[in-house]
Amino acid sequence: MVNILIAFVTGLTTGGLSCLAVQGGLLASSLTNQIENDVQQQVYKPSRKRIRRAQRPARAGMARPIAAFLAAKLIAYTLLGLLLGWLGQMVQLSPYARAGLQIAIGIFMLGNALRMLNVHPIFRYFAIEPPAFIRRRLRRFAKDREVSLAAPVFLGFLTVLIPCGVTQAMLAAALGTGSPLGGAALMFAFTLGTSPVFFAVAYFATTLGQRLERNFNRFVAIVLLLLAVYTIDTGVALAGSPMSLTRSFNEMFARPAAVEQPAGSPPYAAVDGENTVTIRVLNTSYEPGVVHAPAGVPVKLRLVTEDVVSCSRAFVIPALGVQQLLERTGEAVIEIPPQEAGTQMAFSCSMGMFGGTLVFDL
Amino acid sequence: MSRTITLQIDGMHCTNCAMTLEGIEDRLPGILRAEASYRHARLVVEFDESKVDEARIEKEVERLGYKVSAINR
Repeated sequence: MVNILIAFVTGLTTGGLSCLAVQGGLLASSLTNQIENDVQQQVYKPSRKRIRRAQRPARAGMARPIAAFLAAKLIAYTLLGLLLGWLGQMVQLSPYARAGLQIAIGIFMLGNALRMLNVHPIFRYFAIEPPAFIRRRLRRFAKDREVSLAAPVFLGFLTVLIPCGVTQAMLAAALGTGSPLGGAALMFAFTLGTSPVFFAVAYFATTLGQRLERNFNRFVAIVLLLLAVYTIDTGVALAGSPMSLTRSFNEMFARPAAVEQPAGSPPYAAVDGENTVTIRVLNTSYEPGVVHAPAGVPVKLRLVTEDVVSCSRAFVIPALGVQQLLERTGEAVIEIPPQEAGTQMAFSCSMGMFGGTLVFDL
Repeated sequence: MSRTITLQIDGMHCTNCAMTLEGIEDRLPGILRAEASYRHARLVVEFDESKVDEARIEKEVERLGYKVSAINR
């Protein structure tokens, strides 16, 4: 849920104008053609008054094609998200592999951000360029069509071939969800987020849009940069490394009692002769964050959920290759084989956003 | 007689810019082929010398909002 909200907000704040920069030209070509056709049909005998009236931008007529374009784009990208999520699922990845993929996605986003900020020409290689023949077909198609809605709809579908920088990063994230529904939901939220700004700027189509676009490009790049750093950092956390900023941040701001278990009380208890540690899974954290358990003996890790709706339900212990999706409300038990005294084992949600450590020192 | 030149372009900031530049194929008579690359910041143009010249092509590129920094013949 958190990720979908992030995707929507990203689309709303940055994707709209970024997409417009890359895909707006295509839409504009098909709309300009339509306006020109309208003018030609209305102007039979050239008279100043009639030409002036005909040349007034037919705003009301523009809304439908732009809306059709955006609706087609939304459907196309949601389907692409579904496909990518399915592909991500097909390839069953271990937590370490997923961490690696997440770090790679973050680096891709970082490269795109640096490209947009024009830091160095080498970052241009992070842009996806469709082959020349596709570009030619798209351009010619946009130019030649006369029909009012068919062109915008078709072009809306074809925008999947020319994703803008931010969209590319979102597509990579959809692949990383490893779930068809997750990928589809992410792309739906993001593309929906891009629509209002895209619509507004395309509809009014003033020079203000161009000036705004130049300054907004930098804003978009900076937001992408921040997202990239966050993605790389959570990937590092997912890999179990203590060097993650996110992990340190969570531990710094968590309640003390929630971080360290109180001495002599649950979560550790010898239950029915078996060593059991208990972790409460909450929507934005695991309690406690540091769990002490006995070394040299098998340990049962009991995970308790109560109406949990966030990604913290996707519980991961990278060192053991454990990936488990917990029930919204319930209990799950993970068997941990005996560990040497002093062993520390990181656990987290599947995206590395929330986590903690198991310490085998009792 | 056809000739091919490669123009180094300043000012492209995404793939759409490449597509915009390739539009000179349709806008200028005499252009046989125009292929742009955002990645390499260049535009390769094959044209009929009897219908259009380098100066006209350069002017069109500038009219679209880009700058030609070098021409390789």
